Amino acid sequence: MQANTSITKKPGSSVNDAFASHFAKSMFLTIAGLLILTFIGTRMFTHVDLNLYGYMVGTIVFIGGFFYRFIAWGERPPTKLFIKKGLKLLFRKSTPKTAVNHLAIYDFIRNRGVYRWVQHILIGWGCVLAFLVTFPLVFSWMYFTMEDNGYYTIVLFGMNIMNVKADGIIAWLSYNALNIAAIMVTAGVCMALYRRLKNMQARAEQKFMYDFLPLYLLLFISITGLLLTFQNVVLHGWMQPQMSLIHQFSVIVTLIYLPFGKLAHIPFRPLSVFARNYREHYSEQHMKECKVCGDQFVSVEQSNDVIQVLDVNEIDFNMNDGFNLAELCLPCRRKYRIAKFSGFATHQVKVKEANQNANG
Amino acid sequence: MKKRLYLELENCIGCRSCLAACTQCGGHEERNRNYVYDVNPLVNRQTMPLMCLHCVNPACARSCPAQAIQIHETGAVLSALVEKCIGCQNCTIACPYGIPKFDTEQNLMYKCDLCIDRSKDGIPPMCASVCPTNTLQWLTDEEIEAKQKQFNLDNGKWVTSMPYLEGETNVKVNLPGILQGVTKLF
Ligand code: SF4
Ligand code: SF4
Repeated sequence: MQANTSITKKPGSSVNDAFASHFAKSMFLTIAGLLILTFIGTRMFTHVDLNLYGYMVGTIVFIGGFFYRFIAWGERPPTKLFIKKGLKLLFRKSTPKTAVNHLAIYDFIRNRGVYRWVQHILIGWGCVLAFLVTFPLVFSWMYFTMEDNGYYTIVLFGMNIMNVKADGIIAWLSYNALNIAAIMVTAGVCMALYRRLKNMQARAEQKFMYDFLPLYLLLFISITGLLLTFQNVVLHGWMQPQMSLIHQFSVIVTLIYLPFGKLAHIPFRPLSVFARNYREHYSEQHMKECKVCGDQFVSVEQSNDVIQVLDVNEIDFNMNDGFNLAELCLPCRRKYRIAKFSGFATHQVKVKEANQNANG
Repeated sequence: MKKRLYLELENCIGCRSCLAACTQCGGHEERNRNYVYDVNPLVNRQTMPLMCLHCVNPACARSCPAQAIQIHETGAVLSALVEKCIGCQNCTIACPYGIPKFDTEQNLMYKCDLCIDRSKDGIPPMCASVCPTNTLQWLTDEEIEAKQKQFNLDNGKWVTSMPYLEGETNVKVNLPGILQGVTKLF
């Protein structure tokens, strides 16, 4: 909205002037980066796996979509603030712990229910595993060469990383990484589907396109992937090229869809680490006291940021009687509202608010 | 036909049925999202419910960095999307009425969603279906207009939304008895 009006042109020539927009520049840098990595990884394009060409195109389109979404999102005033301050606070001592908690073991989801946690671990880590294997293979950053002596060499970015025995455990794990990932995702998606069909809490809120489509997409990818292995091992490759195309298609569709639907929370989730750092850091600095009861309820910084963000949206909280709502803690704010309705100053009565949690 | 939540605050007798009903709505996971306050706790028993008023320009959603608070086509301002909420609590301090609740364990905000799976199909939200004193009602705009005539408040004190609230709201609030200085007979 107001984003485009505030750009100030600096005189003189900078590299930035070569690009039509921030968006174009980030896009250019990303694709250039991918190309360079691929150039190095493939030992100057001598080891490109053309079977995986479709994925490459899919990834590029995905990156385009992702940047588009990310920039539209990052331009919103509150998001912008969190990204800016989050980056500044990135090197807090607690960052690794928070990051592991929020992005790897999902403690907060366990608190929402163990079933949902298991399902999320299976889907989440299945996808991460698959991604970690596929991505380097697609861009040929990693590949395998076979020597005559029964050993494979894993080559990463053109460097020989290690020799593994062709029938050893590491080799087995690497051939089957995608199968393991597929089984994890399938199990997780089935759990999720079961919950969505059976659990009344979940059923009340779900929407088909938003909640089911991503699950079906993941299921489709996993099953076509597993079928590929099945055709290979049991059917001696019968119909494999066709299935491979179907699989590729499903992956590409999912990649393109990813930044726009429910799965968009994957790339955006790291912001929760920013948010935690932000809250921890600024509440150590200076807390805001409620003007009525004196309770410290939020950091001054956050309060000011919210006021500023709301100001951009033309919302302000100055009351006729000299109160500013941002100066009241939440219970006092509620009581103040009751006072506005009734004409009696409820918030001035020194009684703690009654328990507001009914037990269902 | 589009209906709204309509509050006649002074009818409230403090039974807290609305809180209990709120916990039972699908998707609320047995936690209530509304409030009932004693107006003058040390002196009398008058209570009033406090609900999310579903602002037309909701401060909670505007302050959310994750776009987790969505506005439904019916005008209802929804609870945070579980996968999107990053737990910053901006919304809780942005709301002029202090409505959104925050669960630190789950790192998740939850707030009134007008029982969206009900109200999107025209079924009243849980609170309005159970309120025994018609403090909370589910009415069409015409019915609300009729209320306005019924209470015959030509002193400009009919409270719907502006200028007594911070902004235009989808939920309409009224205090006919108090504003007329009469005691209502139920
Ligand atoms: S009353 Fe508060 S929580 Fe409800 S829509 Fe308005 S700002 Fe959001
Ligand atoms: S706590 Fe969640 S819903 Fe509230 S502003 Fe932060 S991200 Fe949005």
